[in-house]
Amino acid sequence: MKILRFLLIILFYFPLSIQNLIADEAKMLKGLEIFNETAACAGCHTMKAAGAEGNVGPNLDTVDLTLESVVDMVTHGLGVMPAYGEDEILTPEEIEIVSTYVVNSAGK
Amino acid sequence: MRKKEKKLNLKRRNFLASTASIAGLAATASVVPISISNANHTEGKKGLPNFISWKDRDALIVHSDKGIETHRSAIGESLITPNRNVYIRNNMPTMTDAQIGDRNNWKVSIEGVKNPKTFTLAQLKKLGHTTIATILQCSGNGRGFFEHKVRGSQWETGAAACVFWTGVPMKAVVDACGGINASSVYMTSAGVDHKPTGLDPKKAMVERSVPKQVFKDAMLAWEMNGVPLPNAHGGPLRMVTPGYFGINNVKHLGKVAFTEKESSVKYMKKSYRISPIGKKGSQYPSCWEMPVKSWITRPTDETGTVRAGKVQIVGVAMGGTKKVRSVKVSIDGGKSWKRAKFIGPDLGKFAWRQFVYEADLKSGTYNLASLASNGSKKQPELRMENRRGYAHNGWKDHSVNITVV
Repeated sequence: MKILRFLLIILFYFPLSIQNLIADEAKMLKGLEIFNETAACAGCHTMKAAGAEGNVGPNLDTVDLTLESVVDMVTHGLGVMPAYGEDEILTPEEIEIVSTYVVNSAGK
Repeated sequence: MRKKEKKLNLKRRNFLASTASIAGLAATASVVPISISNANHTEGKKGLPNFISWKDRDALIVHSDKGIETHRSAIGESLITPNRNVYIRNNMPTMTDAQIGDRNNWKVSIEGVKNPKTFTLAQLKKLGHTTIATILQCSGNGRGFFEHKVRGSQWETGAAACVFWTGVPMKAVVDACGGINASSVYMTSAGVDHKPTGLDPKKAMVERSVPKQVFKDAMLAWEMNGVPLPNAHGGPLRMVTPGYFGINNVKHLGKVAFTEKESSVKYMKKSYRISPIGKKGSQYPSCWEMPVKSWITRPTDETGTVRAGKVQIVGVAMGGTKKVRSVKVSIDGGKSWKRAKFIGPDLGKFAWRQFVYEADLKSGTYNLASLASNGSKKQPELRMENRRGYAHNGWKDHSVNITVV
């Protein structure tokens, strides 16, 4: 009975976790694309995981980041950094994706 | 995980290989990709970016490679802050020696004068020579004390330094150009540090306007504390606007113009405006004159255990654009105040003064605070709440808690 329950759990959850992994991977790739291309974050920031060597804004591998702080910064900008949200350069969804990518990639 | 990295790295190669498409996409983001040639910011051996590897790591708090703060206890026990301890706040990349070239051939143009001219650094050195001490302080020094979520480096006290500058008085330069155009209202200084980035100058150029009368105190500096002005601090030539926040002391100076209007670049029109929380715009005051301010540098929680008995409470005080006149110290969180003594030389109204108050402290905990006055204004108890966390001079947030044993 215990084995049956275990198998049922595996059968139920495993596809979900695979789906989640695929979704995470897709989100990260989309985040990379936004970082390097759509928003051109790489032009101004260094982040080794993205192959970015920009030198205008902070090196993202050296700063403490939270998803909230990155979303806030990308949305509102600061100094020379564009306000990607306020100026509607990126959609809120794109901002969430690129911010998630940055938080999970910086320093790696 | 390895699989993901491989895929992402593949994408990276695509990115690096497709600069043309990046340029097109970047244009939609109003940012043109830079030539990525100035990677002088990579982490050095001491945990500092390479471009300031000569600084004292132990004296510094690294917020990012563009924002590096001096520890509260390291701003200079002898009044002047040593270069190796001076904070870093760079809006744009520090220029390299290769980009600067022969320092004596560095050029600055002077406009909005009777006879506009361009001078090399070597020519400036023939126009005049002086040394002044001023306080260099980031507009956001103290931002870390604000309770609303403020973007930017969370400076507490260490985005400030007292520095000797050597250079030519701006007045001598103006005289050499036949005087200022009568219609001018502002002195507008521009750096050239945007050029290597390829960014839109209107958004990236550090160009700052200050009231034109500032030129009477201003100087074009090529030395900092007795050595050629380090690139990281704006070498080979920097505008120094005594009494005004750091942003107005434009680095890598390429142009000074006396203008009828304020500069229209983002760093003047939109950034560095002291606006209420939730509001922004060029109608709000710019970060110009620094307010009266002081803080204790020793003892603090950084300086270790304090032994009971006589304790020297030391700090620095500034008057902004006026001479600082007095400082009071409290050991009980502001309930009572005692006058502190100024010590060390008086280097003029634009330098800070060191102060000391000798207290006899028994075992216990104490909240130490200082309160400076320039005769007409004194520090408020509380910070002036504002959107970007600028110009904080409230004494309460700058107080320190110590334990005496």
